[in-house]
Amino acid sequence: MVFRLLKYGLSHRYPVTGDIPATPDLKPRYDVVIIGGGGHGLSCAYHLARYHGIRRVAVLEKGWLAGGNTSRNTTTIRSNYLTPQGIAFYKEGLELFAAMSDELDFNIMFSQRGQLTLAHTEATMRAFHTRAEAGTYMGTRIEVVDPKGVEALCPELNMDYGGALEILGGLWHADGATARHDAVAWGYAAQAARCGVEIHQRTEVDGIEIAAGRVTGVVTSRGAIACDHVLIACGGMNYHVAQMAGVELPIRTYPLQAMVTQPVKPWLNILISSVSLHTYLVQSSRGEVVIGGGSDPYQLYSTRSTLDMKEHLAEGSVHLFPFLQGVRVLRQWAGITDMTPDYSPIMGASPVTNLWLDCGWGTWGFKATGVAGKRLAECIATGRVPAILHPFALERFERFALLNEMGATAASH
Amino acid sequence: MTRLPAPFGSRIDRARTVAFTFEGRRVEGFAGDTIASALAAHGQWMLSRSFKYHRPRGVMSMAGHEANTLVRVGREPNVQADLTPIAEGMVVTAQNVAGSLAADRDAVIDRFGRFLPVGFYYRTFMGPTRDAWQRLWEPIIRRKAGLGVVDTDVPARTFDKAYLHCDVLVVGAGPAGLAAAVEAARAGADVVLCDGEPELGGSLTYAAPDGASATAAIAEASALSNLRVMTGTLCNGWFEDNWLPLIQGDVLVRARAAEVILATGGIEQPAVFRNNDRPGIVLGGAARRLIRHYGVRPGQRAVVLAGTPDAFGVATDLAAAGVAIAAVVLPRPLPDHDVALERLRGAGAAIVTGRIDEADGKEHVGAVRVGDDWFDCDLVTVSVGQAPAWQLACQAGGRLGHDEATQRLTLTLDRPGARLAGSAAGHADHGAVVADGRRAARAALRALGRDAPDLEPPRDNGLVFAHCALPLDPDPRAKDFIDFDEDLQVKDLINAVAEGYREIELVKRFTTVGMGPSQGRHSALATARTVAAATGRSVAATGVTTARPPVGPETLGVLAGHGHVAERRTALHARHMALGAEMKPVGAWWRPYLYGTGERARAIADEVRLVREGVGVLDVSTLGKLEVRGPDAGVFLDRLYTMAHADQPVDRVRYCLMLNEMASVIDDGVAYRLDQDRYYVTATTGAVAHVYAEMTFWNARWRLRVDVLNLTGAWCGLNITGPGARAVMTALDSDIDFTRDAFAYLDGRVGTVAGVPVRAMRIGFTGEPSFELHCPGSLAATLWDAVMAAGEPHGLRPYGLEASRVLRLEKGHILIGQDTDALSSPDELGFGWAVSKKKPFFVGKRALEARRRLGFDRRLVGLTFAPDAPEVPGESCLVLRDGAPVGGITSVAHSPTLGHAIALAYVHPDDAKSGHVVTIRGRSGAPIRAIVAGHAFVDPTNARQDL
Amino acid sequence: MKLLTCPMNGPRNIDEFQYLGPVRDDADPDTASDAAWARHVFRAANPPGRLLEWWRHVPTNFVFVAERDTVSNDVIRTFDPATAERP
Repeated sequence: MVFRLLKYGLSHRYPVTGDIPATPDLKPRYDVVIIGGGGHGLSCAYHLARYHGIRRVAVLEKGWLAGGNTSRNTTTIRSNYLTPQGIAFYKEGLELFAAMSDELDFNIMFSQRGQLTLAHTEATMRAFHTRAEAGTYMGTRIEVVDPKGVEALCPELNMDYGGALEILGGLWHADGATARHDAVAWGYAAQAARCGVEIHQRTEVDGIEIAAGRVTGVVTSRGAIACDHVLIACGGMNYHVAQMAGVELPIRTYPLQAMVTQPVKPWLNILISSVSLHTYLVQSSRGEVVIGGGSDPYQLYSTRSTLDMKEHLAEGSVHLFPFLQGVRVLRQWAGITDMTPDYSPIMGASPVTNLWLDCGWGTWGFKATGVAGKRLAECIATGRVPAILHPFALERFERFALLNEMGATAASH
Repeated sequence: MTRLPAPFGSRIDRARTVAFTFEGRRVEGFAGDTIASALAAHGQWMLSRSFKYHRPRGVMSMAGHEANTLVRVGREPNVQADLTPIAEGMVVTAQNVAGSLAADRDAVIDRFGRFLPVGFYYRTFMGPTRDAWQRLWEPIIRRKAGLGVVDTDVPARTFDKAYLHCDVLVVGAGPAGLAAAVEAARAGADVVLCDGEPELGGSLTYAAPDGASATAAIAEASALSNLRVMTGTLCNGWFEDNWLPLIQGDVLVRARAAEVILATGGIEQPAVFRNNDRPGIVLGGAARRLIRHYGVRPGQRAVVLAGTPDAFGVATDLAAAGVAIAAVVLPRPLPDHDVALERLRGAGAAIVTGRIDEADGKEHVGAVRVGDDWFDCDLVTVSVGQAPAWQLACQAGGRLGHDEATQRLTLTLDRPGARLAGSAAGHADHGAVVADGRRAARAALRALGRDAPDLEPPRDNGLVFAHCALPLDPDPRAKDFIDFDEDLQVKDLINAVAEGYREIELVKRFTTVGMGPSQGRHSALATARTVAAATGRSVAATGVTTARPPVGPETLGVLAGHGHVAERRTALHARHMALGAEMKPVGAWWRPYLYGTGERARAIADEVRLVREGVGVLDVSTLGKLEVRGPDAGVFLDRLYTMAHADQPVDRVRYCLMLNEMASVIDDGVAYRLDQDRYYVTATTGAVAHVYAEMTFWNARWRLRVDVLNLTGAWCGLNITGPGARAVMTALDSDIDFTRDAFAYLDGRVGTVAGVPVRAMRIGFTGEPSFELHCPGSLAATLWDAVMAAGEPHGLRPYGLEASRVLRLEKGHILIGQDTDALSSPDELGFGWAVSKKKPFFVGKRALEARRRLGFDRRLVGLTFAPDAPEVPGESCLVLRDGAPVGGITSVAHSPTLGHAIALAYVHPDDAKSGHVVTIRGRSGAPIRAIVAGHAFVDPTNARQDL
Repeated sequence: MKLLTCPMNGPRNIDEFQYLGPVRDDADPDTASDAAWARHVFRAANPPGRLLEWWRHVPTNFVFVAERDTVSNDVIRTFDPATAERP
């Protein structure tokens, strides 16, 4: 630690680590092509190269590295889901996050501050109990707290509203955490590159080639490549890219907006959200208060912002913390998210052999960056889908076997 | 005191002194002063300490463009000192200091800058243990993060919102905006002209070129009745379809304009050299604003960096203000200005060719070095050109480009309904700026369908020298800042590129350049040029980062507005209040939860017993009430609901269950056939809006001859229930025969009760004899009073929502949304009886068949618990089978009627038989035994409802 | 606030409307396999580009179809399917 600081201070020249190699020329063939240079794709590339010895891997990114939802999300890491299957998966995801800085030798600033979700209705309280019961059964730190407990966890909250805004209680998820989103992607990219993975920025995929029901290559803006496996992990564009392989995903694309305030001295130590107000807040280590909420109401592939969403998020924030009236908004932005009918992701095999899916993450993919990459690398390396991914199979939508997580996702991310 | 006489100081009123405090020291200024101008008048330049290195910082733009001027005012953090007017008694303090502004203990960080290179935190703060970041380092970093301190005890204020519509909205009241607004208004358009400054005129108020004046245009703008002038109004964003927020103090005006003209002007750019952030180093425009707006002499001895001809206007103002000019630094020859240079030389200024290489001075600039020569000074003015104010245009889809020949950023906007004008469009000459404003107005008028001939594109000779691109080679000793907010130096950006962060957006994220309060206003161009050089790309190919709203900082308060919360009350609200009911919100509605007082469980049990043993009345007005009318009404309901309704007799009521397309239950209610073509359908309180929309939506596709009327808010309902219900009903003055034989279970009748027109139904949720009366809301109180009067001899009392829930659970009636979730099918609920086997089609039928074939893995059953059970599980407790969860409790209550706890729960299908024992995991984690029962715990044969 | 032109009420702020999703192809419940029916239920058009979709003007309860570009968010046209020929 001290040594590293001294290294910078005492070196004659800035000691370049060289995290991200410049985009190389495309080779004619790779073992694995990963479409999407976001956190998930980079994590999968890293796990393939580091743990499965598969190093001829190309990650294709149409823009700049991790420029999609990886750098636009509001960095909530949690495992407070409803179903045991969901909890098991997200719990593994959280554990990988806790170890990630060490694993990648890159400080991702993982900070387990705990997440408090507020209930203003009895129905929400019931949903909280459901999550708490399933969570404690699975061994996560989660409990329902009463208004006094809410106040103790977040004394700054306005507890004086009555009526529809009265705080009836909260769901305290002590495992809930946050991390620096870009750092996660950069850390995976740097280590994957060190293992031989090629990262191609400004490389757009225009087609996926299939022969006899098996994927054989991809066509890119910089030429065609042959490959044995393809992983689709490109966030808001998943529906579109899967269509290139003739796979029609049950996905609709919606923007998700967020905004951030000017940096102020830290006052909010936990992650906080309100189901009824569709608002959540977290203060970054820079001091900015990041504020997010629900998705836009209609399908759209644009990252434009709206004034109405900003007004809505401001209203929710001021309801929770009236003293925020005087704090200033610095910037608003949006990501485009791929939503499935049950708000749960689609991971694993597709109808095309060796075409793998890491899709449908909607608005909460960040928390699974590590585990999704790890488990999909396992799929690609072994050709088998591990049991932990079975509930997330695409095929569930043909069996009406949806994941009963609806409600676990709203305004919590 | 460095005040200048009039005409300097156009904004201040020297007759009115205003006193405030800064850092505990009393300061006097004049009305019209900003915090920064009043302080500058007293020689107080330092306003803040920088974000990372805690370097002294002061005014640079006087236009609210940088974080340097953020101060705390009273209890409000991050207030812009260069824009905020002073007020009597205002308490202003510096932010981000350890100790005081003058003696900031953290200023020591500045000396260790080399140990804290860009991105260092990604490579450090990880040891010695795995959780060291969170336990040890993060708390230290967090203490250093942020700027102002939020006062969490500050009381809420009132904000408001308004709307505005116009033909043409002109943003920016400088020469181009004024010309555009006047031109459009002369043609008769409804025009709004807004500007954040307190007066019209823009740059003409402080930096008018020789002979240029806004006086005539201002006079005309003020005289035109169809031109609304909004000064002190910040247009803070552009949103789709020309929807623009105009911030006027505490009011957010949302403007819809058919045409928008963006005359937003330019953003003067700083120069990059070592210690370029010292207080006293200001942009040329800032010096002129101080002199002309506030009558403040900005220094005694100045060095003028003359990259563009603007510098000569600055020098003229400085000389007029009595500032000696030590040197004029010319990075490049400026032909046509030899006369001005000679005049300056004659007044004693050194004319030096070159650039400023570094500045010296501890808390204020004391000297600058040009090559080998040092020049003592207490003021440096920088004139190296402007970037077009791109924020609004880029939000509207405009693009920033780069002109290699003139080394300046260019802005283009090609979108219907929005256009650029003046210096935002790249014009430099005053004449060209004005002409371009008029031209933009003509184009907007044509787009509005008015006859307005196009004007010749203006000739502009000023562009060649409008921007001066100084080299951006890093100073070996650094502190040459590109981003003042974030304390980023040239080498920081170069190092980021070397680390592989070669794309401009990655540079931004890795270094945080442009992410501070100024949002790249001063750093975007220099960043693009630095990254372009480091990557070997052109500036145009490198680009700038995306411009996001808002343009300038805006408070959450003004965005949130008044924050009123809408609520709905039934027509009987006052009656409930008079009876002392405890009201609770259910969605937007307020409903009586409980009427009794004293111990809660006992009061609820009393209300339950009232219904089981006597008679009670419940306000059911929040129920959804839909009237389905038309020749196809029966067919329509047959397609929407699972039971048969087309063959339902008139005057009969039938349960109805609605599925979605995946065969999950989404609502239930009853359908009362009023006549051949008319049904009165109820829906649950929470779902009626959705059901109403679904009905309309389905019929947009089916095109059946029906119409749906939503009476939910217009009609009210009472449910009179209990063994004594019929006695109450027959005591009412009514033309309806409420006797047992005349009015059977699930019958419906239309008539009057106490003169009130009603729809009466023999339905209930309690299992007791029940009568539901629906009537228009305006007459509900009359009906209520009549029922209460008729019921008095029979002990009738109202009961609340909680007792209602217990009563329904005792009968095993499900609550949609509580006992069902997104996947619950009728089969899982044991509702096979409610699904027609004969109908060829209803919504969800096909999926229900498919799901039946696939099988299901849970069933909703009743559970009973021993009266002496040590623990009764709460709602949501898990049902375990062989130690694994298979379902959970959805409803649970103590039954006052049975004397033990009862529940509804999902269990494994193999356990769904009466008498099976299942295990529940209690809140404590301990296992609890429960016995499976049928849904109806009380009166399983339903004998009581027909008593 | 985006504007949407209701065929009955003219241009209105989009927050007066409820989005009802893409127009779907009809599927025949009598001939579709279980899996095919499931696809019909869960899958909807989601192209980056032109999309036909259902909207409802909430205050007047009027349901109509819009053709919109999901990349630019430009509304190409709106129409009442009862009176207009569907493409």
